[in-house]
Amino acid sequence: MESQLGLIDQSFNARYTSWVREALDELPDNFTITDPSISGHPIVFASRGFLKMSGYLKDEVIGRNGRIFQGPRTNRRSVMEIREAIREERTIQLSLLNYRKDGTPFWMLFHLSPVFSKEDGRVIHFVSVQVPILRKLRSEDGNRWQETVFGSCRREVCSDTVIELARCRALDSFVDSDNRVLEAEESCEANDLEKQKAATAINSILSVLTHYSEQTGRLVCGKRCNSSVMCPLSSSLNISLGRIKQSFVLTDPHLHDIPIVYASDAFLSLTGYNRHEVLGRNCRFLNGPDTDPKAICQIKESIQSDQACSVRILNYRKDGSPFWNHLHISPVRNATGRIAFYVGVQIEEGCKNEGTRGLSPEMRILGTVGAVKVAVRSLSMGAGSSKS
Amino acid sequence: MVKVKPYEDDCCLMKYIAASEQSKCRRLQLQGVKIPLYKFGNQSSLDNYVGLSCTHEEDQSLLDTLLLAQWEDRAWKGLLGYDVTTCEIKVICARRKFVCQLNEGWNMDYFPKPKEEKVFQQSELSVYCMNILREELLFSVSNGEKAIPELIHSATVPNDANLIFVINANPVEYGHVFLVPRGFYGLPQSMDARVLEMVTRVAVEINNCSLRIFYDFSASIANHLYFQACYFANPLPVELMPVVNVLGNWQEKGIHISEVADYPIKALTFEGNGNLKLLVEVVAEICSCLQNQDIRYCLLISSCGKKMFLFPQLHMLATTCTLSAWECGGHFVFKERNDFDRATEDILMKRMAAVSLTDEAFEAVKQLSCSVAGKLAS
Repeated sequence: MESQLGLIDQSFNARYTSWVREALDELPDNFTITDPSISGHPIVFASRGFLKMSGYLKDEVIGRNGRIFQGPRTNRRSVMEIREAIREERTIQLSLLNYRKDGTPFWMLFHLSPVFSKEDGRVIHFVSVQVPILRKLRSEDGNRWQETVFGSCRREVCSDTVIELARCRALDSFVDSDNRVLEAEESCEANDLEKQKAATAINSILSVLTHYSEQTGRLVCGKRCNSSVMCPLSSSLNISLGRIKQSFVLTDPHLHDIPIVYASDAFLSLTGYNRHEVLGRNCRFLNGPDTDPKAICQIKESIQSDQACSVRILNYRKDGSPFWNHLHISPVRNATGRIAFYVGVQIEEGCKNEGTRGLSPEMRILGTVGAVKVAVRSLSMGAGSSKS
Repeated sequence: MVKVKPYEDDCCLMKYIAASEQSKCRRLQLQGVKIPLYKFGNQSSLDNYVGLSCTHEEDQSLLDTLLLAQWEDRAWKGLLGYDVTTCEIKVICARRKFVCQLNEGWNMDYFPKPKEEKVFQQSELSVYCMNILREELLFSVSNGEKAIPELIHSATVPNDANLIFVINANPVEYGHVFLVPRGFYGLPQSMDARVLEMVTRVAVEINNCSLRIFYDFSASIANHLYFQACYFANPLPVELMPVVNVLGNWQEKGIHISEVADYPIKALTFEGNGNLKLLVEVVAEICSCLQNQDIRYCLLISSCGKKMFLFPQLHMLATTCTLSAWECGGHFVFKERNDFDRATEDILMKRMAAVSLTDEAFEAVKQLSCSVAGKLAS
């Protein structure tokens, strides 16, 4: 937990100068900022307004995932839509039922926007603005209500609402006792004023973040800049891969010279390089004067034939010291069944078996390959990607 | 380092011995087989389970690594009929977002069924033989005495209660395995709280939200109780559907029962917050009641053991039109490219609606569930 909090501090301090928190606190809006690159995608900042609205103390929300505010009546489809937006790293605005600390539900307009690094186009943070929706919906006059909702809502919400309304009538028999709650489950659409308020809040937060990142030289912006040659992995894949503590890299065979597109923390500590020193490079920088060309050949052949292979190869760290690497390489396929990446898992020969919990090196390697395959299999499966 | 070695084709014989007609007990024997053994810690992970939803926060668990490693090992050695990750998956762009998979090597009835023709009727003794390749046995899981879970690399399968993980050479997704219970005073034939508890513990300790566990009960087939599990990278469509809560005294004990709304096959969900032991008791009791009444059903365990979906199905004589648990969840496998390309939400809705219970029958299952939960929660 200590190190997690350290990461959270760093998440902010590395990007912005020190007065950023004070500047954000002066904004009247309710919002949180989350960091998808830290495992668990935790909240790294919560505004005063947000804390007041949700009834939580600051320490109770920092480090937690935003899902703690959801409850039994939170529409799971909306949660999915948010997750989908995070996966695709885009803006989303929808009505959502959240819960305060004391358990009372409240409707709000949820507006999520990614914050990009100007340098490499990666998503640094997500900002989530929450505008409370104050008016109450009544179901005394069912038809009128239905029409009102029908008239004002977006297409998908409207179809949901009508069907759900019909459903809730059909199920009247066992919801009688708790009609009030069920009513709250129905969609509650924000008006234009509230939507405008959310968009304005996002803009003012982004301008604060941009301003305070200028002086650190690590600029952030609200739109992805396409200056970089590398296509970064999606935040959701980063989150899944972050759980795997083994040393491994993903390389992209569709890019020129099959560069590394993901390197785990354990890979960096094994080889001594920084992340920015390895991303975008072919793995051959690990080879050195005494590396056996036959082993390199074997790796090439396996990649050419789409096969997995295991080799024992002499590699070199950044400081020049050599080590025997038990390297396993395997193609990894996405939802279309086509190869998306190659995963390379490294285990240093003779290194101590600390924290391996009785797993053999082979098991650690193959367990990593399996976990990567499961994570990547979710790629390009978003609705809409399917063509028949 | 790992080397490709041809897998031994010697079969290990798993024998079901129905010792006597009275006890209706079957035993499964594994002779001289050594496989990895995972022993649970002595403190049940179900007792104090206070997870939120799935915990992404934690690292890959020991049991998760073991299962994935053993599965990948067998896949790499060429034990499987095909590489399931080469199968195309698509989501149907409609309200329910059903998932379709094109899997030309798929064979629905893969589980090595007891060879009925080999049943010997000698006085009161019948022997079923089931052939499983030794290499198909991945590992077993049993209760342990130590405070933390323990992995033993090579051990004979214990005689007391355990689960054997057998690879499904005909996988529907990555990591597809059979979980075969053993040693629960013979092989249990019907759903049993002790077996379900162990299976749920597996889900909790694997602690990977991608893992789903399935159980199909079909009244028409001579049953041997076994579960299946595999990894689905994305949520199953049923997990995203709205639900309507069913109110009762079980809520005070942290159990939530809901009815899945607006879904073509009527289903109930059972969710435990901090009280998975009670959740397991409730679901096991409901399942065994359904079995006693010969009501066909499927069970889907998701959210790291925290949530169970129950799909009762119509009992249709002389038809094979039943759905597997993953189909109930909204994941469909197609053998033919043509069918895969033409699949629409309407077609799948009809397939599901065809096996869904009538309103009256479903109401009866709901009443049964409520009365079981009400009794066990009081």
